[in-house]
Amino acid sequence: MTSFLLGALWGVVGVVVIAGGAVIGVWWERKVAGRIQLRYGPQQIGPAGSLQMLADVPKLLFKEDVVPSGADKPLFKYAPLVVFAPVAAAIAVIPFAKGWAMFDTAVGVLFFLAVPSIEVVAILVAAWAQRNTYSALGGLRAASQMIAYEVPRALSVAPLVLLAGSLRPTDLVAAWRWWWVPLLALAFLIYLISSIAEMNRGPFDLPEAESELVAGYFADYSGMRWAIFMMAEYGAIITTSLFAAATFLGAGWPFDGALGVVALIVKAAALVTLVMWTKWTLPRIRQDQLLRFCWTVLVPAALVQLAIVGVVLPWL
Amino acid sequence: MTAQSAGLALAIALMLAGAIGAVLLKEVMRVMIALGAFLFGVAAMYAYLGYSFLAIAQVFVYVGGVLVLMVFAVMTARRADGERPAIVSRHDVGSAAVAAGVGAMLFLSLRTAFGDTSVPVSRSASDLASELLGPRLVAFEAAGVFLLAALVAVAVILKGGEER
Repeated sequence: MTSFLLGALWGVVGVVVIAGGAVIGVWWERKVAGRIQLRYGPQQIGPAGSLQMLADVPKLLFKEDVVPSGADKPLFKYAPLVVFAPVAAAIAVIPFAKGWAMFDTAVGVLFFLAVPSIEVVAILVAAWAQRNTYSALGGLRAASQMIAYEVPRALSVAPLVLLAGSLRPTDLVAAWRWWWVPLLALAFLIYLISSIAEMNRGPFDLPEAESELVAGYFADYSGMRWAIFMMAEYGAIITTSLFAAATFLGAGWPFDGALGVVALIVKAAALVTLVMWTKWTLPRIRQDQLLRFCWTVLVPAALVQLAIVGVVLPWL
Repeated sequence: MTAQSAGLALAIALMLAGAIGAVLLKEVMRVMIALGAFLFGVAAMYAYLGYSFLAIAQVFVYVGGVLVLMVFAVMTARRADGERPAIVSRHDVGSAAVAAGVGAMLFLSLRTAFGDTSVPVSRSASDLASELLGPRLVAFEAAGVFLLAALVAVAVILKGGEER
């Protein structure tokens, strides 16, 4: 039973890391947005407004948890948890250092790519449970976009798997060489773009387009349940950036050990900032543009990158 | 009880609960969730038996593909009177008989077809890949071409619908 308990323990650690990261992420996003759009952002409480996050959490915890009278109550109440769970699970396979991940499995890369599909179902259920046309439309948009962008995302990771000859994330880190960066630059770009779309973040945030859909698939949620959706969004940004930093950017390279973990976190934080920067800089695109871009640009480009790696592989 | 058998028992309990819920619940979205629990339970069962690749493929294809498609269909279906769709069956006994018959048929055919042949199946993804791209390459490619043809056909049919 010890492996059960150990698994549960790592599960708790993963959830705490993701939740804590999400709280910091919200503060950081407000700082980044403030800098880009010449607004103030949090600045009153603590140095650079950093204690604002301590004020935000109790506010959300004590807010009234409104359940609309027409909603499907059990589905409405538990859907947010199922949205969050896969995000927290994804951190388990991320290789934080050479040869170490919380859950070091031979199919870790596939695991990382597969868990968002559980989130899709949960988002659709949450959208449905509110019995609200706006949220249903937001849910359908989110699901169609997430399913579509899963394809280029998986294809962009495939060259890494080819080069390393393994689906185990720690093997990817061990096999990584600096020249993977120029060779896989296109795959990295495709991974970033499709991940931003998969997370429903700007400029692909049509599911929560506030001018047409209020707040999209979580329009009727409030208080802590709303915060769980936010935690899932920021958690996804963190896991996606950590995975990219670990596999595409060589994890702790050029350092080893504890310094390597710090280097990985710095790289991931830079990617998180890039994702936020993108959101606050680019205007939102239309639904048809979004899907056309996926199928006619990203997927063929990802196939080209895969072919390039396939051709050069025998000479490496 | 070892961790593996405890996990397996949990997975089977989830599968049973999901299957019973999928049959007995009335509201369509809850039926979908019960079905999702069942499909996820199957994935968990594979994982606890050591077939991790199969478990991930189960989540990819059935939870992420088939189930999402069905939920999509439920969400876009509208009844004329504005009510949410619910399942009302007038043929409980007949359906149960058909289900039992199909179950018995599957059980018997599996027993007679594979009863005494023990096929060595590797649990690792790389062995599975070499098997698919080695001795079974033709079947694998044929399945791939078939799926591609189906995709192209769907695109052609959809385009025809747009023009009309």
